Amino acid sequence: MQAIKVENLSKTFRVKRKEKGMKGSVKAILHPQTEEIRAVKDVSFAVEEGEMLAFIGPNGAGKSTTIKMLTGILYPDGGHAEVLGVDPVKKRRQLAYRIGTVFGQKEQLWTHLTPYDNFRFFGAIYDLSEKETEARIDELLERFALEDFINTPVRNLSLGQRIRCEIVASLLHRPKVLFLDEPTIGLDPVVKENVRELIRQMNEEEQTTIFLTSHDVGDIEKLCRRMIVVNAGQIVLDDSVEHLKRHDPQHSLEEIIVDIYKSEED
Amino acid sequence: MRKYAVIYSSVLMENLQYAANVALGFFGYFVFIFIFIKLWGYMYRTPGELIAGYTKEQMIWYVMMTEMLFFGSGAASVAGEVAGDIRGGNIVYLLNKPYHYTLYVLTKYTGEWSVRLPMYAALAVVIGVVMVGPLPRFPLAAVPAMALCVVLGLTINAVFKLCISLFSFWIEDTTPFQWLYNKLIVVLGILFPVEIFPQKLQPLLKMTPIYTVCYGPAKLIVDFSPEKCVEILAAQGVYLAVGCGLMFLIYGKGVKKLYVNGG
Repeated sequence: MQAIKVENLSKTFRVKRKEKGMKGSVKAILHPQTEEIRAVKDVSFAVEEGEMLAFIGPNGAGKSTTIKMLTGILYPDGGHAEVLGVDPVKKRRQLAYRIGTVFGQKEQLWTHLTPYDNFRFFGAIYDLSEKETEARIDELLERFALEDFINTPVRNLSLGQRIRCEIVASLLHRPKVLFLDEPTIGLDPVVKENVRELIRQMNEEEQTTIFLTSHDVGDIEKLCRRMIVVNAGQIVLDDSVEHLKRHDPQHSLEEIIVDIYKSEED
Repeated sequence: MRKYAVIYSSVLMENLQYAANVALGFFGYFVFIFIFIKLWGYMYRTPGELIAGYTKEQMIWYVMMTEMLFFGSGAASVAGEVAGDIRGGNIVYLLNKPYHYTLYVLTKYTGEWSVRLPMYAALAVVIGVVMVGPLPRFPLAAVPAMALCVVLGLTINAVFKLCISLFSFWIEDTTPFQWLYNKLIVVLGILFPVEIFPQKLQPLLKMTPIYTVCYGPAKLIVDFSPEKCVEILAAQGVYLAVGCGLMFLIYGKGVKKLYVNGG
């Protein structure tokens, strides 16, 4: 069964343009100019339940915009998306109970509270009973090795510890689909490896569908069987990681991906 | 409702850690009140004199109460923080949760003033009793009605400030509008009661949110009457309904315009 179904999804942003210098600033007040940027253009794909998909591309390719449309945060201008059979735009709050999100560059935890208080908070937000929340915290506490800092305010945690807590907060309500937007950004190699292992374990044990965006080839190689490459808002490749590596055995996956990006630029 | 109760208690937990920081603002409050005690001392030349129907004690207590609401409520979470979240993209994490974003913000704000306001209220009572003297014939039995009026006043103020912040979905900077709203509240409601303005202006002022946000609660504290209480609570009910309707409308339209670029 398909967990995510996307057909001709599009999103256009209108951004301000200003000529350089003071003259340009004055001109922008009198004659404001805007430019339309098509962040996502007619994107179509599907993700099976329990699949781990890498959705990659260079900066500004439209990856995060796609995730935000799939989670109901941004409204698409065209096309249609379904996540777990639900239209994210029409039923965002209903969908929120069944998905989890981790944006590596943003924080969802309350920094002045401890991870434990945060988890209890998220448990209540997702309508889990106190008993269910406590049981789930105990389960994830062990799996993600949080014992040593569960009662330390989040603001005092290291980045690696915080990211682990961010992932746990997203998993408390047992989401069926987990959207990971650069979850390992800024982490050292050991912590990266640790986080990947935890994601892999969770996928295996709970059959969670993983939708991952990352610039780290290690994340893709170690987690995903399939990858979709987007560039300038369009899908330029949708293939299995294994097939790509077999097709070009002299080059590493990183080199293959860079070649794809470059060929698209040309 | 449980989730909003948990949001409230989490904010309370967070803010209680910084209760000592709130006390740092006491100095600013004291300076304001001290100036107004001196100012009204000069204005009232003879004991028992009335200005716009207020004795000197009532007038000073009025300013103390409105300033207490102003200092004790803060408004960052419904003003700058909301606008910052929308512009900076942090709203991404707040929108994809199973609660209504505007109610989340209002609950958070309520948790914040629940720590600050009682501290400022205690300070105001101490300063008032020591420097001005207790309010004559203060009806202790009416305190719950006054408290309800204060809570509604703060909530209405938050709803209107949130409405302004939500315009960040369309415009880059809502600070000038917040500034204008704040100044109107300060000049037309906090520093002076409505009765001090020209007769022709008073009906107009009574139709603005100022009447329900600061004048109403402060008036009830310094000069309580059951009729006035019913009138103010009714006005607050209307304003809250209209404000919330406006807030949901702006949010519903604005969230479709959200533009969050980059990871």
